[in-house]
Amino acid sequence: MKVIILNNKEFILPRVERENFIRLMKLGLEYNRDKGTFSINNFDNIKEAIDTISDILNDEVQFLQNCLMCHKDFPCSDCKYTDFCETKNLPFKCVCPQCLTGKKSPQKTLF
Amino acid sequence: MTINEEIMWVEKYRPKTLDDIVDLSHVVESLKAFLKNPHSMPHLLLAGIPGTGKTTVALCIARQLFGEKWKSFTLELNASDERGINTVRDRIKDFSRYGRTGFGEAPFSLIILDESDQMTGPAQTALRRIMETSSRTSRFILICNYSNKIIEPIQSRCAIFRFSKLDKVAMIDHLKKIAKTENLRLLDAAAERIVEYSEGDLRHAINALQTTAAYQKDVIDEQTVLQVFGEASPRQVQMMLNKALSGNFIEARKMMYDLIGQYGFSGSEIVRQIQRELIKIPHLSDSQKAELTDIIGEYDYRMTQGANSDIQLSALLAQFSKFGK
Amino acid sequence: MKTNLLWVEKYRPKKISDVVGNELAKTELINWLQSKRHKKKGVLLYGPAGVGKTALVNAASNQFNFSIIEMNASDTRTEKAINKIGKPATSFIALDTFSSERRGNILFLDEVDGVFGRQDRGGIKAIINIIKESLIPVVMAANDVDQQKLRPLKKVCQMIRFQQIRIPLIITTLRKICVAENIQAEFEALERIAQNSLGDMRSAINDLQSIGEGKQFLKLQDTAFLTVRNKDVGMYDTLKGMFSSETIGDSAMVLNRSNVNYDDFLLSFSDNLPLRYRNPTDLATAYDLVSRADMFRGRVGTDNWHLLRYFFNFLAEAATVSPKSYKSFDLIYPPMRIMKLFWTKGKRTNLENICAKISLRCHVSQNTAKTDMIPYIKMMIKKQKSSSIISWLKLEPNDVDFLLKLNDL
Repeated sequence: MKVIILNNKEFILPRVERENFIRLMKLGLEYNRDKGTFSINNFDNIKEAIDTISDILNDEVQFLQNCLMCHKDFPCSDCKYTDFCETKNLPFKCVCPQCLTGKKSPQKTLF
Repeated sequence: MTINEEIMWVEKYRPKTLDDIVDLSHVVESLKAFLKNPHSMPHLLLAGIPGTGKTTVALCIARQLFGEKWKSFTLELNASDERGINTVRDRIKDFSRYGRTGFGEAPFSLIILDESDQMTGPAQTALRRIMETSSRTSRFILICNYSNKIIEPIQSRCAIFRFSKLDKVAMIDHLKKIAKTENLRLLDAAAERIVEYSEGDLRHAINALQTTAAYQKDVIDEQTVLQVFGEASPRQVQMMLNKALSGNFIEARKMMYDLIGQYGFSGSEIVRQIQRELIKIPHLSDSQKAELTDIIGEYDYRMTQGANSDIQLSALLAQFSKFGK
Repeated sequence: MKTNLLWVEKYRPKKISDVVGNELAKTELINWLQSKRHKKKGVLLYGPAGVGKTALVNAASNQFNFSIIEMNASDTRTEKAINKIGKPATSFIALDTFSSERRGNILFLDEVDGVFGRQDRGGIKAIINIIKESLIPVVMAANDVDQQKLRPLKKVCQMIRFQQIRIPLIITTLRKICVAENIQAEFEALERIAQNSLGDMRSAINDLQSIGEGKQFLKLQDTAFLTVRNKDVGMYDTLKGMFSSETIGDSAMVLNRSNVNYDDFLLSFSDNLPLRYRNPTDLATAYDLVSRADMFRGRVGTDNWHLLRYFFNFLAEAATVSPKSYKSFDLIYPPMRIMKLFWTKGKRTNLENICAKISLRCHVSQNTAKTDMIPYIKMMIKKQKSSSIISWLKLEPNDVDFLLKLNDL
């Protein structure tokens, strides 16, 4: 079984039936007609939205995380700590493994 | 032949017909009877320790039933790889749908489910339902190590075949045949050693032979065999055992967790490794090894009772630590 | 070297963007604070301790320049007390709370789940009234919102959920603090602190201070002194109580009275055995008993609760193998299994991918590939790095690298 990894800012789905489309909109997704892409607008029902997308694609769906430091997107599967993460595979900000263990030190103090 | 693409010998020399299979006449005879009249074939449950021919038998059955195109009519699944019973069900559903367009000579398609004893109780119950609903179009061959971990409703629907440790002579014979085909001279002492350290697991024996051949091109001698076995087993297990036997429990336990964490070994896999390593420890007498084997057996059994493997392994290591003192 | 300032105070987020994690909650709260018309006049922030509920409210008040009228669980929460503070709030004219020229007010009630039924006589009712009549935003925070008594409150509030902070975010924050405090910390040490916190940023920072303050170098071994987290007091007390008991009966009673999770407890109990029993014979005896307890736990499953007493008895026996040898010791917590598996997920994924490829070619399961094929394949590749087995198995160059580096133990 495949795992499909999507970017929450912009992703494509194959032809979606009307019923499912309405459902996705209700669950917080947006559709850009020009580009033909979906994005997540509202995260209140993110888990249900992901389940619905999984059903449509018939595969497990995960979202990429965005790294606070290097701003690149990366999947949760790269991370060591997913076993006990409450928000795993949900598209939130995080720190990628490279930045986390990297030699570079923060440029400024935080506070 | 100029291009010599090497493949794993366990695959290259895997028997393709039931008659070629080493030392399994009791199983083979019964199966032949079923295969004469495929309609009469029930679901099968093949049970026994690893490396004793279960998967080979299943694949041979597939070949016998479907001929050259057997792969199209056979679905191979591993219960421990698939993510839960729903994935298993989906794959079977998809497969059955395809199969219904025609099976050629056979009246059904074949579903081989390996490691079925790794499935939880509820998953097995769901499996039983799947077996029922697909029984018109499919036959299941379930493969497992411990048949007592298969729930009774499934067992009662299967013809059960037990596979045990292979006979030493037959194993040596098989190894010698392979060596001959590969243009290698396999010395008797080396063959004996391979068989001894494999403990009836032909897969290990063949892998060891192939690895030794990679290191020593024409003549397979005992020395190289020892080297291979020494290196092929995770050093961690040897070290863990040594720590335990010298009374250092805390270190040994740390290593056990590394085995689980780093390698993802399951409890029973570690136990098997421990048993393998135990044989090789030189400074233990036979009676000591026997006593330790008993301890291993006891905790191995406890693990199959649905307990936490890491706790049982720790307890095992604790007994070993006491033994050392 | 003692400072007077707690690092959780010193490094308290001053801007909303400094608050780590829970982005959704942040957005929802800001939207709520900024909107002129509120569907629901109160907002209830809920979630585990130390994940930023209070920090966010404070940062918001700082950034948008409004002041907070605050009450929390340490005050007496009777109707009278609440009304004394809260009532004036309702007589303020509703102002644009985000205007930098005018200081607005919000009423912030922290730990509303600490308001009890009888002692706080009508406390919840009073709060609901204030929300209804208030002209300024009412923000509340709670850890546990599943209690019956909070139901009427939930009806009049917008609920905003806060979740555990992700470990990488905690580690990064700890690192920044170390830089500010001139501490050179090993990554593994910060990682350990972060994992120990179980997603609670406040605890993580407190732990960092408790073992790092005044140090120049912070190493992994320093984290061995991390004290047991407060939420695990039950575990700590139960373990200590059982191990220090003199008879099986006493020990069993400790376990009976405790409300720890049995599975977690079993793991922690067995982890601590070698610290309790230095004598190998005692250790072996104790572990054998724990092993039996474990078997019974397996048999209990979800149905056979009557077997649980065997589970209890075996543990009680294991705790009192040689009562006279008891010496107080520092307990290991959280369970080794959790900590160990935490650390090695990345390595396992690589290995799993390789096993999947072998699995496909050799008609074996991934587990079998791991134990029965990989050790040999590795040796063959070591001898001949260009072996055609690699291409037959469809292994990539980084798979080969990984295999060659594997088993360096």
